[in-house]
Amino acid sequence: MPSWAYFQPFVVSGLALGGVYALSGVGLVVLYRATGVVYLAFGAVGAMGALIAWSLIKDTGVPGWVGWLVCVLFAGAVTLAYGMVFGPALAKRDPLIKAVATLGLTLVLFGVMDLLWTSGGGQSRAIALPTDNGGFVVGQLQVNWTQVIGLGAGIAITVVTGAFLRYTKLGTAMRAMANDRDITATLGVPVRRVEAAAWLGCGVLGGVAGLLLADLVALDATTLTFLVISSLAAALIARLRSIALTFVAAIAIGLIHDLLTPIQALSNYRDMTPFVLAAVALLVLSRRSVISLSREEA
Amino acid sequence: MRIYGRAPGIRATVALVAAIGMTAVAGCSSKSATPATSAPSAPSSSNAAAVSTSQCGTKPGVKATGTPIALGGIDTNQPGTSFTDIGNMANAYFACVNDNGGINGHPIKYYLATEQTQPAQVAADAKQLVQTDHVVGIIGNTSIIECSINHSYWESLGFFIIDSGIAPECYSTPNSAAVNMGPRYSSDGAVQYALAQHASKIVFDQSNVPGTGYIAAGPAALAANAHVPIVQLTENVPITDANSVAIKEVNDAGPNGAVVLNFTPPQALVILQAAQKLGLENRVKLWGCSTPCDTDFLSQALGPKWNNKLFVNAEMTPATTANTPTINLYKAILSQYGKSVSGGVGSFSEFGFAEAEIVVHALESVQGPYTVASVNAAIKAVQGYNTGMLCQVWSYGSYPMHIPNNEDYTVTPNNGKMVVAQGCTQISSVDPQIAAYRKVAGVAQSAP
Repeated sequence: MPSWAYFQPFVVSGLALGGVYALSGVGLVVLYRATGVVYLAFGAVGAMGALIAWSLIKDTGVPGWVGWLVCVLFAGAVTLAYGMVFGPALAKRDPLIKAVATLGLTLVLFGVMDLLWTSGGGQSRAIALPTDNGGFVVGQLQVNWTQVIGLGAGIAITVVTGAFLRYTKLGTAMRAMANDRDITATLGVPVRRVEAAAWLGCGVLGGVAGLLLADLVALDATTLTFLVISSLAAALIARLRSIALTFVAAIAIGLIHDLLTPIQALSNYRDMTPFVLAAVALLVLSRRSVISLSREEA
Repeated sequence: MRIYGRAPGIRATVALVAAIGMTAVAGCSSKSATPATSAPSAPSSSNAAAVSTSQCGTKPGVKATGTPIALGGIDTNQPGTSFTDIGNMANAYFACVNDNGGINGHPIKYYLATEQTQPAQVAADAKQLVQTDHVVGIIGNTSIIECSINHSYWESLGFFIIDSGIAPECYSTPNSAAVNMGPRYSSDGAVQYALAQHASKIVFDQSNVPGTGYIAAGPAALAANAHVPIVQLTENVPITDANSVAIKEVNDAGPNGAVVLNFTPPQALVILQAAQKLGLENRVKLWGCSTPCDTDFLSQALGPKWNNKLFVNAEMTPATTANTPTINLYKAILSQYGKSVSGGVGSFSEFGFAEAEIVVHALESVQGPYTVASVNAAIKAVQGYNTGMLCQVWSYGSYPMHIPNNEDYTVTPNNGKMVVAQGCTQISSVDPQIAAYRKVAGVAQSAP
């Protein structure tokens, strides 16, 4: 077994990765609570936004910040459009049907990415943020600002979202909708507008996460599209309810995943981390579950 | 912050997990085998402009209109691993030949099937090419498992395959001969270079795909012969945590050690960029890589920090800097016909070019009708052919095994281009497979 010092660099990389998973997971939870939709296209919109940014920067020579902005706006716009077009029709359907509907969007975006940014041959792409160049040293490891931003954004989004839901009118409306959409509407809350805000916010987070993951992990449609699994596992551990627990679960997934890397016997199984943690959490929760159901489901 | 309200039932949640799993599988879904088509334009190349592609055929400017000669190939194409550039480049060469006289007036029709490392699919691809497309020759195969699955089938039908080998059977069976050295011997070359630079330890990391044990045996033999410790690692691809992979490699290698990678270019790039961002590139004596890293875009993406730090085994003549007639023709064909060759100039497309070149040479020697028997007899009879792409002349021959390319270059990034760091060097016979091949086939002559 390697020494603790040997593991230290993996703590740093795991925290950075977990931070971005947290960023994504919080977005998923907030959207789910407001609309009842588990948004499986979260990774795909971020991936496509990042690829568009890469093409813009590389092919048209626009400044980097324009590309990044386009990435975030694209993810926000696509998510908002999906929510506005399909959200009302799916509003009263089962959560599983709503989730599977977002698979359609995932596969459409995945197909478009495969067509426009083929992964054939030796083709490879990379996106670099200016924050990659600065940083500080921990032990013998260079920690760049992008990694710090990854973790910081996860914490910030968790705190800000928590405060937003607790202290703002829109946040209160979202919490009310989570309890009962119909009664909330009867009380005069503009349900469509609140849902739109949730869709847009989720999409924007998808764009930010896509950009950060494109830098921290890889600018690859497949990789980024399916990285949502780790974020979703964190959200599932939190029962799609608690954003604080989602954050903790996401950090745990990132940390455990990376800490398994140097352990030869387990290294090749570390990609199972989100599945195993989610499965264990679901089993434990199901043994002592007191599930609060909405009035619609009760 | 807790938000009360709808909570998903356990069953619904489990179903969601299953749905996600299905999505992941859908992402890896198969693609159908279709006739490959050539395209009129593609990436530009500076040397290409000065060379006429009409040199590829015997009747410049005359389109071949006779009965097509059907050839086929099978390439892996899946997330994280795609070798279609090889088949697509072969097809580009055939398109050029077809525009310039064809084979005695016959155009070549090339069918490229793709697969996703599923044995049944790989076997079905072969049967489709033979029974539906009626191909008379197989070239351009580049697949993780194709040789393992289909070599007996090809042997039973009398096909002699020209491929870019990966699996052990591409090199150890009588009916398969590759233009490349494949991951094992290319990794041998990269490790051999690291050992020659007196690396005190080798960390050899590769994709976790079928055949890793076979590949690892070569570098292990070389390291053992040099009394240098070697750590063997494998990674699941696509890599989703390149930072931790890079940290692990560097920690294991130590300051005087070498990290040698055997991945496709996108995956290698992900690791190398992670190492750069973490400031790890100088924490080992040198980095090495097998042939797939030999592409200019990798050099461009990495930047100057890797100049003379990363050393890549190059099984083919370095295309960027070489100015030979063959390399210039290759670039011209790539430019004019190779739109679907997404990686552009690089080892993969050079493999496709060389394979097409050899099979055209063989087809031109066929007397009478182009049948499975006549075409494959001609392929098997190729001896001492100078492809212009290899360190040695290339031969097929009647041997129980084939490693006809066993001498190569080492290149290193230099401000966006791969330049030669070491000229043609024989892969050591310390690898028992190389020794076995040289015992039956001898040492090939150097290319003129």
